[in-house]
Amino acid sequence: MMSAATLLKRTAPVLACVGLLAVWQFASLVLKNDSFPTAIEAIRAVPSILTDKDALINILASLRRMAIGFALALAFSIPLGLMMGRSRAVAAFFNPLLMVIYPVPKAALMPIIMLWLGVGDVSKTLVIFLGVSLPVIYHSFEGAKAVEEKMLWSGAAMGLSAGQRLVRIVLPAALPEILTGCRTGLVLALITMITSEMIARQSGAGNILFNALDMGQYDTVFAMIIIVGMMGICLDAAFERIRARLVRWSEPQFDMPLSFS
Amino acid sequence: MIEIDRVSQIFQTSSRKDHLALSDISLTIEDGAFVSILGPSGCGKSTLLYIVGGFVSPTSGLAKMKGKAITGPGPDRGPVFQEFALFPWKTVLGNVMYGPRQQGVRAADAEAQSKALIEMVGLKGYENFYPKELSGGMKQRVALARTLAYHPEVLLMDEPFGALDAHTRTRLQNDLLNIWERDRKTVLFVTHSVEEAVFLSDKVVMMSKSPGRIRQVIDIDLPRPRRRTELLLDPRYQKYVVDIERMFDDSDEPASNP
Repeated sequence: MMSAATLLKRTAPVLACVGLLAVWQFASLVLKNDSFPTAIEAIRAVPSILTDKDALINILASLRRMAIGFALALAFSIPLGLMMGRSRAVAAFFNPLLMVIYPVPKAALMPIIMLWLGVGDVSKTLVIFLGVSLPVIYHSFEGAKAVEEKMLWSGAAMGLSAGQRLVRIVLPAALPEILTGCRTGLVLALITMITSEMIARQSGAGNILFNALDMGQYDTVFAMIIIVGMMGICLDAAFERIRARLVRWSEPQFDMPLSFS
Repeated sequence: MIEIDRVSQIFQTSSRKDHLALSDISLTIEDGAFVSILGPSGCGKSTLLYIVGGFVSPTSGLAKMKGKAITGPGPDRGPVFQEFALFPWKTVLGNVMYGPRQQGVRAADAEAQSKALIEMVGLKGYENFYPKELSGGMKQRVALARTLAYHPEVLLMDEPFGALDAHTRTRLQNDLLNIWERDRKTVLFVTHSVEEAVFLSDKVVMMSKSPGRIRQVIDIDLPRPRRRTELLLDPRYQKYVVDIERMFDDSDEPASNP
């Protein structure tokens, strides 16, 4: 039997969603503004977008850029962050650089990048790459810095070289922290993906959204917001599953610890 | 044989002042001997062990193993740390197998050897547990098995039982002696407990602090195999403990905190 409390806990997210939609519906009915369609109108527009071939091609192109930008960012940022965490010299070199780049909104670089690299995939992927890199570098750095010295010594005594220690001890030991950075990075990838398409309109989910806005198709605008939001939720949930699986060994346990010397 | 030849170690403190952690230490450790380094906190006893391990390079002087200068860590010298330093992403079996696998032992052989070692340290049935699921005493048993698994010639034990409660500590001391008495590896054992040093060792190296120096080296002439309950009643054991404690008292350097 499920207790009332568990039942409430399980259904809370659904209730929250329904509540939000109800408020939206009510507000839009009251305001009667053309640019604010009702929730039902917006939701009704979702299937028509998802069955439209052009729209699907656009959305898939977005996702492809996002995946490439995200993957490249991880491939670059994790090794860099780990090396910064283990070497003072590397950290001293890159830290000031990152401090300068950190507060700059990556989308603000888009016009310059477009000027250099055009409005195509390269520019947009680069912006996504920049957006994802910083949190991943930062968390990899913090994770690597926190690795216990004695753990590395134990590895060294077994004959692991410095490079092997970085890959086989620092990387797994820092993995929980690295994945926290990746999760933030994933959401940022989605955000920079849409913003880059807003600035360089050529294809993509952001392109559909802002074209619809120009043409006053507000139900499509809101439907796209719903679609992008759902994409974010699904990606985050999928990533969280992978993360939990990878770092099962580090999750705090609520069972009583075994008492046996 | 390990030779420590006029080793000194200077650390820079946060206030940029030089701190002489070890001053002109010379010591020879015979093969198969159980040697404890005993001293108050801050006397540099762990640093001395790290120098033998090759984890820290001395500011001056030299440590040698079998006549060859120690320049870095190696599988001939296996450390066991107070902090356990297990690989948390590996199971008990994975931790113990790590060294042999690194040395190129075939997976099946490494697994069989490791399982035998896990049984020897009393953890049969826990092969697939992760370190977070184990108590402190169990973790240190795994750490010992992990180090023994790659057959180091020398065990370097850095206050290995310092983080454990008194009861667990006694049990691990007994078990360590039982294991050690089978193959009599050379052991260098750092501790601040007088009783622990006398109970386990053939030789106790007493150190004093600021700067870290060897005060005296005492041979512990007690029969083996040693049984704790018999030893506690043995006047010779009691005399060693009392004598060493008096020597520390004389210099106002308590060897152990009450």
